[in-house]
Amino acid sequence: MAKEYIKYVDVTKCDGCRACMVACKNWNDLPAEPEEFQGSLQSHAKVTANTWNVLNFIEHENSKGDLEYLFRHSSCFHCTDAACEKVCPEDAISYTDFGSVVINNDKCVGCGYCVQNCPFDVISLATYKDKNGKEYRKAQKCTMCTDRLEEGMQPACVVTCHPGAMQFGNKEDMLTLAEKRLSEIKEKFPNANIYNPAGVGGTHTIYVLAEKPSVYGLPEKPKVPTSAVIWKDYAQPIGKLMLGATTMAVMAGFVSNKLFNKGGHDHGQDEEGGDSDE
Amino acid sequence: MKTSVVSNEYQKLQEEIMKLQEQWKQNLNPDSIDFRLDSEAMKTGVPLVALTNFDVKFPLFVQWVDELKQLLMSQNADLESQLNRVIELIDEETAKVWMEEAFSFNHLYFKKFAEENVLDEWIPPFLAETLFRPYLQLLSEKTQSKISQAVAGCGCPVCGEPVRLGQLEGKGQKILYCPRCHANWPEKKLSCSHCGNEDYEKMKYLTVEGKPTEQIHVCDECKGYTKIIDTRQFITKPSPEMLDLKTIHLDYIAQENGYMVMGEIKK
Repeated sequence: MAKEYIKYVDVTKCDGCRACMVACKNWNDLPAEPEEFQGSLQSHAKVTANTWNVLNFIEHENSKGDLEYLFRHSSCFHCTDAACEKVCPEDAISYTDFGSVVINNDKCVGCGYCVQNCPFDVISLATYKDKNGKEYRKAQKCTMCTDRLEEGMQPACVVTCHPGAMQFGNKEDMLTLAEKRLSEIKEKFPNANIYNPAGVGGTHTIYVLAEKPSVYGLPEKPKVPTSAVIWKDYAQPIGKLMLGATTMAVMAGFVSNKLFNKGGHDHGQDEEGGDSDE
Repeated sequence: MKTSVVSNEYQKLQEEIMKLQEQWKQNLNPDSIDFRLDSEAMKTGVPLVALTNFDVKFPLFVQWVDELKQLLMSQNADLESQLNRVIELIDEETAKVWMEEAFSFNHLYFKKFAEENVLDEWIPPFLAETLFRPYLQLLSEKTQSKISQAVAGCGCPVCGEPVRLGQLEGKGQKILYCPRCHANWPEKKLSCSHCGNEDYEKMKYLTVEGKPTEQIHVCDECKGYTKIIDTRQFITKPSPEMLDLKTIHLDYIAQENGYMVMGEIKK
């Protein structure tokens, strides 16, 4: 059993250099996406199928009326209770032993349920063309560099972060670091908080935010959509149970038919035989 | 780095040996090492170990041999008779000689000892080196704050081991590590550890596809090489000897490309 890890992001140390975006593109071999000017230094409006992390630039007026420029590295949160995993009809999304949530591209059929149900809006569909020119889609998102974790290496974005705004390590150690940092910055940033939402069972990317989550464009209290819970935790098991019951009924019918029809002829054959005699 | 050309069984054995050595080091009396920090001698490349007296306690030595025997036998029970023979052969004088010969890498002595006593050739030097390392590591621990550089071509400033391993740390600084005594010291990134060459046209980095943390710094002046690992990317940092072991494939690559562990220092 591998250790459960957390990526800890301290936005108060981020200087908005966007090296994390470059490192992600580089390691995951993701193509460039030319974008229109967003009205700020932010390069992409949000994460996309080919840009798995985006540095958000937020202009914020603080309680003193001063302008603050806030930065946030945004990517998949790797929820402990992931809505995407719950709604995926093909079981293409799963948890790894490290705590990351990953998509199996061979199983993904591009239905987009995960995209619709992610409370953080960090999954997107990429469109590809097969050799016959037919288009097909696959869900894509940050993998927390699970391929690197398997080799004992930290995620590419963390390694490249020069101000040390991102750290990676054991879950307990990272939570302790976040608590310690929060106590250090609370005086300077009275609204500072740790973003590790309980509504999704906690996440494997946690933040120390200087302001309320909504200031950073994050849901204050995200939770797994009820429809996802009903689908995964109730409908699917009941459906399987019903399927099992139906199968049992068919088998029972077959067996009873064989047992109680010892002549080896069914009614159809008898009737056909009767017809021929006539 | 989880994948390695070294088998998991061997890695586990090495880790167990290191655990034992750490325990032994903890039990050593710090006064059992009497060193003289002669900066003038060290500037000429004399390793600190040559300026040190080790007070080897014989009962402790025998106890360590026995503990090591138990560990080795748990892996290979066939070694019992040879290891028992070693224990019979060792007396206080032999223990002292072993420590001295291990310090000076005198393989000829150990080869002769093995031949005379009908032992496998690897057993005496392996035991002596394993038992000597806690002393070296304690020496390195006590003097690390005074070690800030080494003389190119003279190996580790503490134990004299040839330089072969370095790590990238902090903002990318090259820190050389001795896998034998754990001493570490910084070195210019573009500098050969073996001949001190700083001509960038004669220094190259060999890399392995798919291994972003590994580099081999090679020097075309002396044909020496040093393995440089970017351990900043690792989740947990391995000890220098485990790192050296797990990157043994880099030694093969360097040597297959015509480079040598120590280089040829031109006069």
